[in-house]
Amino acid sequence: MADATIVEVGGRQLRLTNLDKVLYPETGTTKAEVIDYYARIAPAMVPHVAGRPLTFRRWPNGVEQSAFFEKNCPGHAPDWVPRLDGPGDVRSCGLDEQAALAWAGNQAALEIHAPMSRAGALDEPLALVLDLDPGPPADIVTCVEVAVAIRAVLDTVDLVSVPKTSGSKGMQLYVPLNGGADYETTSSFALALGQLLERQRPELVLTDMTRSLRPGKVLIDWSQNSFHKTTIAPYSLRGRARPTVSTPVTWDELEAATSADDLTFEAADVLARVEHHGDLFADVVELEQRLPQRGGG
Amino acid sequence: MPRAVWNGAISFGLVTIPVKLYNAVSRKSVRFNQLDDRTGARIKYQKVSAETGEEVPADHIVRGWEFAKGQYVLVDDDELQAMAPSGGKAITIEAFVPLDQIDPVLWDSAHYAAPDPGFEKAYALLLKALERSGRVAVSQYVRGGKQYLAALRPNAGKLDVCTMVWADEVVDPAAVDGLDTVAEVEVSDAELAMADQLIEQLIGDFEHDTFRDSYREELVALLQRKAAGEEIVAPAEPVAGGDDKVVDLLAALEASVAAAKAARSVDADEESAAEATAAKPKKKRAARKRTAKKASAKKAAAKRAAARKSA
Repeated sequence: MADATIVEVGGRQLRLTNLDKVLYPETGTTKAEVIDYYARIAPAMVPHVAGRPLTFRRWPNGVEQSAFFEKNCPGHAPDWVPRLDGPGDVRSCGLDEQAALAWAGNQAALEIHAPMSRAGALDEPLALVLDLDPGPPADIVTCVEVAVAIRAVLDTVDLVSVPKTSGSKGMQLYVPLNGGADYETTSSFALALGQLLERQRPELVLTDMTRSLRPGKVLIDWSQNSFHKTTIAPYSLRGRARPTVSTPVTWDELEAATSADDLTFEAADVLARVEHHGDLFADVVELEQRLPQRGGG
Repeated sequence: MPRAVWNGAISFGLVTIPVKLYNAVSRKSVRFNQLDDRTGARIKYQKVSAETGEEVPADHIVRGWEFAKGQYVLVDDDELQAMAPSGGKAITIEAFVPLDQIDPVLWDSAHYAAPDPGFEKAYALLLKALERSGRVAVSQYVRGGKQYLAALRPNAGKLDVCTMVWADEVVDPAAVDGLDTVAEVEVSDAELAMADQLIEQLIGDFEHDTFRDSYREELVALLQRKAAGEEIVAPAEPVAGGDDKVVDLLAALEASVAAAKAARSVDADEESAAEATAAKPKKKRAARKRTAKKASAKKAAAKRAAARKSA
């Protein structure tokens, strides 16, 4: 029916369709470019998504048309795409190799959302995440102020934190754990951190999502520290007007940023950055840390 | 050139428009003949008596209608002739109805009606009036001793005569096994949402010519090669994806990616050319990022200074 190209990648055969379909009309970015991005970013991205039951957000007809979330791995996925047990009855796709990421791109799964834990150990978060979500007119530069303050607190208990942009309006801060953690602890710690910041900077920070006092403030969303929640994966594209990416950044870059544009990276920028910096998010899956706990942990 | 299959007239009130009907569809199924493999002779059918097995001469063959098992009433041609629907050679319009009131199950076959020379004006008038009404003309006509129900439908600058089956020819779905229980099935919102997603994946426009009878095309190609003398062995199982060539992923994407980039740079050139000649407020995309950066840098610096003061 539709034009199809059969390709080989990493020993897998993959059927690509509608390569010239424009998924981002504002930039004219085609599906071929989306697949190309995911194929090229795979070496940096795979460690952060492998083994995790992922949620896709797909825009089959481009970002100006409707999108839908796909938690269950579709039956037509190639048999070499692993099906992983997610929360409840969910059987999600896993993406653990370049071919799988290219396949996801071909599905117009622009956004890849990942939980903090892997299938088989769903109740063991590998990192703590704080999602910093600005209420306009606050923007990512406002988030940076909050992130720097959070880092200062984490520094006092010798915890390394790693920042990335959300690729949308805000950013996230990850505290690598990689062993021995549970969501009870990470969510409590994240809430405590948020509340501490809320006390320190009441004009800037809030932690309660239900409050409508958002304008100009940054919501510290601690609630993504839960086995049934997902966060936009590092290096995932976003389904926004332009092909922006949730991009790992350095603290120096954050502190030097004076406008949201300084912290907006599109697919091509991110490939160049990875070429130059390597994976700035590597610590998140490699560094073993312990949250302070009663009894020394 | 297609040959007319019927000659007659569209009759509408006092107006009569002589037309010819042409088949709208020419079927392309592959037809085979039966042959004797020893001699290559064609096989032909003979009418033989079911009792004696002997051939029955044509003038002894009559029509019978089985009213009960093994019991027939005989009818002859004269009787049938007298019964035959007359109606003359007219497509008689009986009502103008909305097309969507006719269920697709009812459609049988389609013909194009073309006006006889000299009647183009009347034909065009009926066509245009039908187009404006948004309706189709339900009509009846007789062809080959059989009565037809049809819709006269304006379609792309011509009148199509689309025949329909009769109401009592439609099979009652209640009589079909398995359909009776469907109405009682309950589906949850979640299941429905999942089904919606599956549909969403394949939403598109109907592009008729993208669908092909690939079996027939391959079969005809094989037959033609055979006719040209080529030795054909049983075809191998097609590999996944048919006969598409397998290529490296990034190599396969290269051309598409390059094309997308080229398309963008043409756009950008057009934009900068447009900006050079006229101030077009909307076309600022290429320049936007850098200038916006400077502007908001100033704004942010000012904001920070203000924040420090108030702190």
